[in-house]
Amino acid sequence: MAIQWQDYPADKTWDELICPSGRARKGVAALKRMLGALDDDELKERKYAAELAIRSMGITFTVYSGEQSDTIDREWPFDIIPRLILKTEWDHITKGLIQRVKALNCFIDDIYHQQSILKDGIIPRAYIEKSNDFRPECMGISPTHDTWSHVCGSDLVRDDDGKLYVLEDNLRVPSGVSYMLENREVMKRVFPELFTTNVIHPVNDYPAELAKCLRSLNPNSTSTPQIAVLTPGIYNAAYFEHTYLANAMAAELVEGRDLEVGKDEYLYMRTIRGLVRVDVLYRRIDDTYLDPEVFNADSTLGVAGIMRAWRAGKVALANAPGCGVADDKVIYTYVPDIIRYYLNESPLLSNVPSYRCVEKQHRDFVLDNLDKLVVKPANESGGYGMLIGPKATRKEQNQFAKQIRANPRNYMAQPMLNLSTAPTLIDTHAEPRHLDLRPFILSGASHYVSTGGLTRVAMRKGSIVVNSSQGGGSKDTWVIDT
Amino acid sequence: MSSRTLSTTASRTYWLGRYLERAGSITRLVSVNANLLMDLPTKLQLGWLPLVEILANQDTYQALYGASGGDAKVISPSSYEKSVTRFLLSDTRNPGSLISVLTYARANARTLRGTLPRAAYEHINDAHSYAKESIQEPLSRTRRSNALQHVVERLQHIDGFLSATMLHDASWQFLRLGNFIERADMTTRIIDLRSSNLLSAQSALAPFSDIQWRSILNSLDAMQGYFISQQNPINQSDVLEFLLKNSELPRSLLRCFSTIRNCLRSLPRNTEPLKLINSMRQQLQRARVHNLKNEKLHRYVGARQKQLSTLHQKITHTYFPDA
Repeated sequence: MAIQWQDYPADKTWDELICPSGRARKGVAALKRMLGALDDDELKERKYAAELAIRSMGITFTVYSGEQSDTIDREWPFDIIPRLILKTEWDHITKGLIQRVKALNCFIDDIYHQQSILKDGIIPRAYIEKSNDFRPECMGISPTHDTWSHVCGSDLVRDDDGKLYVLEDNLRVPSGVSYMLENREVMKRVFPELFTTNVIHPVNDYPAELAKCLRSLNPNSTSTPQIAVLTPGIYNAAYFEHTYLANAMAAELVEGRDLEVGKDEYLYMRTIRGLVRVDVLYRRIDDTYLDPEVFNADSTLGVAGIMRAWRAGKVALANAPGCGVADDKVIYTYVPDIIRYYLNESPLLSNVPSYRCVEKQHRDFVLDNLDKLVVKPANESGGYGMLIGPKATRKEQNQFAKQIRANPRNYMAQPMLNLSTAPTLIDTHAEPRHLDLRPFILSGASHYVSTGGLTRVAMRKGSIVVNSSQGGGSKDTWVIDT
Repeated sequence: MSSRTLSTTASRTYWLGRYLERAGSITRLVSVNANLLMDLPTKLQLGWLPLVEILANQDTYQALYGASGGDAKVISPSSYEKSVTRFLLSDTRNPGSLISVLTYARANARTLRGTLPRAAYEHINDAHSYAKESIQEPLSRTRRSNALQHVVERLQHIDGFLSATMLHDASWQFLRLGNFIERADMTTRIIDLRSSNLLSAQSALAPFSDIQWRSILNSLDAMQGYFISQQNPINQSDVLEFLLKNSELPRSLLRCFSTIRNCLRSLPRNTEPLKLINSMRQQLQRARVHNLKNEKLHRYVGARQKQLSTLHQKITHTYFPDA
């Protein structure tokens, strides 16, 4: 039966490819026609080709099971219908993201120095001091370019009305970019003909841009700094990505036990030639595991003394410790103010309207409307500890109300967005599935935004959970000229 | 050549090399032994226990199978077949069994995905899954022989694949070091234990002595090579000379030493280990081995094993002291 576009329900939510009338959105017609012309067998063939490519390219993510030895690599779930974004819209998004990250870096730098934004009363001091992710150990440190978050992954969503929002900014150790790159490789194998008929902007400059960004952080006087990627190891869900990026950048992939801080406070890796200095460390482990001397003393993932080396300006850490202070969900609600405060510009991208439970008026509204809102804890990531009001039971709502009253600082609430959809191949039909988009923003001597980003799609009907660990898949993301 | 190879990477490739080589040795030895026993009169009592001595820890075996293993004088040697082959092939409680060794190899390969070619992990994983599935009790002789053949082929495939696709850089040299130190060690073990219970040429069973030397050659994939190279009927002094000192046989001790020397030559900071392997190699070249018998042979081979173990320590100490 193949894909019957006339049966595709595009009028329920905002669809990225198809208008409510059923016609293709601008730039999508050729893709729609081409997909519609494939019969069942051809569709299955393409889908199989994608699976084969993923397997032979070894694109996996790690799923935790009870025992470590049973941890398994799953093949990356991938939908062969791409998600398209017009270049004109993307240019606007790029500007907006850079503006946002610039302002956030100003904010982090300010917090660890003068704290003028607190003194000027834009953000209440208590928010910072009570934040789990504020690190007093970072006070007074000045990283190169005054930049703290060098790699940021911001999640973008589109609501019913087609308007784009920034849902959150992941300023600490965002992951997913390797899948963005691999998705494109898979698509090129599966639909080579589409790449000749459409102008699809390439994505593969990311590793080179990341290397350039990291090199620009070099605190030492070598002309070619030694870059290393610090991974927690093979049991980490993003290990594939760590190896991928290290290989693509010709950097060393290291674990904590490969590193040591010398008496001279430089960071070294242990090699067969002896100790080799590391100038820039792209670390993919959380702050709290970074240095047992300073943070979690039990951590075996980090390197004792690395904070001393960083403070002494002898190694650059990307991202810098302490970035999480701007990653807090309550601080998120202030991002438009932060942009205005530091850059004196109006925000180009919108925040999702948010309510801070610590403010009485907001809190009362939230408590009265728990059945309509999504309530998020300030310091969690990965969707943990959230209340999705419309889908929660009365009891769960009451339970949450109690938690909010007990610790209002820890919560913020947002209306539930009806994420946009895109046609997704289910068996041999196209059905709408909800999705988001995570572009990656690099900040060093200059700024760079990935072309498109990682589109994550909730493969289950009606679901808005896009995490790969919970049945989420992904799509290639095309930024196209029209 | 990259000088930045991490110590842990070097250590993991080295051990991957050792495990892959060991897996091949176990597989070949069990196959060859099964063949050997078919040709020997059962009263010779050679049986399966010598394999335990060559490949593993006798105490581990005794601890696991002692009760049922029983006394060699009472039970016919072939009755060890089941317990010994299980112990050596599929018993996960034995850290030296085929399945254990392949499990370690796989775990190492998994951590080396940034170093090895992408598909290497898949091939090693495949060999592991194949062994796990196909070598399960109950295992008939036919099925075992068939499965072992396939395991050997898979291992050879991995060897060839790595050689053809991997960058021949420092990591490669460590992989080869692991291969050849393990191989040299195994060659000496096989010669040692197989010759310790050789039949004396004077005994009534003399005709079977020949068969034993054949099995040694077979265990080392050296039978055809022997005839091409020596052009003599099988006899102890020629076989010993061939297995220890031939420069062309891939599993001869000299060949292993030469390869180890070449690997070390291309590595940095090689002074100590290179000095040792050079002298080991010269000693071996000068040695007169064809007349070695019984206790003398045992002592000679034992001394080579000690040297190999010292070499292993020197390599570890130089390149991955903390790994």
